[in-house]
Amino acid sequence: MPFVHANGLKFHYQQAGAGPDVMLVHGLTGDLSIWLLCQAMQTLSASWRVTAFDLRGHGYSEVPPRGYTSADLAGDLLGLLDVFGAENAHVIGHSFGGVVAVHAAVLAPERISSVVLSDPYFPALRHLENASRWGHWEAFRQEALEAGVELSDEHWYDLSHFFDQVQHLDGERMLKFRQAVGLPGLNRLMRLSTTTCGVDTRVEGGLSSELIATMKRPALALYGEFSPFLATSEFLEENLENCEVAIVPGAKHRAPEENSESFVRLIEGFLARQSAQGTESLISHQNTLC
Amino acid sequence: MGVDPGRKDRMMSELTRDRILDDVAGILADFHGREYLGTISLETRFFADLGLASIDAVVLGETLQNYYQRPFPFADLMARMGQRTDRDLTMGELVEFLHAHQDIPAN
Repeated sequence: MPFVHANGLKFHYQQAGAGPDVMLVHGLTGDLSIWLLCQAMQTLSASWRVTAFDLRGHGYSEVPPRGYTSADLAGDLLGLLDVFGAENAHVIGHSFGGVVAVHAAVLAPERISSVVLSDPYFPALRHLENASRWGHWEAFRQEALEAGVELSDEHWYDLSHFFDQVQHLDGERMLKFRQAVGLPGLNRLMRLSTTTCGVDTRVEGGLSSELIATMKRPALALYGEFSPFLATSEFLEENLENCEVAIVPGAKHRAPEENSESFVRLIEGFLARQSAQGTESLISHQNTLC
Repeated sequence: MGVDPGRKDRMMSELTRDRILDDVAGILADFHGREYLGTISLETRFFADLGLASIDAVVLGETLQNYYQRPFPFADLMARMGQRTDRDLTMGELVEFLHAHQDIPAN
């Protein structure tokens, strides 16, 4: 299994292709397999060196007891760029992975060439959102309720609340919950619940709305047509200097699963434009020197 | 690390479906701390029956490539799984996949 060490932790990763670097960052409770299932890894590696990794606490990476704010995770991302010898990279982040991408871009703008933000919501922008718009959340809540776990609208963003509820189920109810909500990686989720991940990811972690608005790297905000976080997409479009918004038809929050074809095509197009613009600015720079 | 006496044999010989199923069952019997005690058959489902997740499929792919000392196009298999509603995979499909792609030359 391929592992590397960064920031004193062991990370599981997959890497394919050659060329400028693209880093893929999954969301909370997810893992790198999302990028293989939606074929982002396979498609993008035709033109780029693509690296997908399991965030700390997730997949097969090490599970430290604390350090899960977007600042910590952005630090891991930048640490991995060092390990892979990447001076800079385009970063594609899904959900909280998008928050990590933006945080890395404001901490080290020279290392992040561009960002693709797949349906992120930001703790600092929580006030913009309304969970009742989230059809997926409602369905999940109903299934959980039938299995004996009450998840309320006011705690939709709070992983630690969710962990607490699930952790105290007895054997039979736990089995029912697992069957009802279809979480084959429940053990992994329970392992994460022993860390500060739930608490850390509901706080701003230094990424205030003002700081988000200072992000100047080219950005593609990719939101599902029925995303619960369209208010965040409007904020990004209005406040980021260099941000385009694209809608993934038919998708809710999980576009990589719900419409992988459009999702990957939109990313591919954005990266190709970044590449072309990079070449143009290089030519323009060379012409100036001549 | 000791010498693995079966390694050369696994690299050189043709893999039959029965042998692949035995090998996969052996690997899953002690797979990253998640011991599976039931019988593994061609019908056994990776997620629904074994309780594994898609990241385990990625790691099982890495393990099988090391075991057989040859590459397999697991990314294609993952992409196929990603197109399915249940995203599940039977052992029979995995065995068939490994059997069909065993001729890819070892690195």
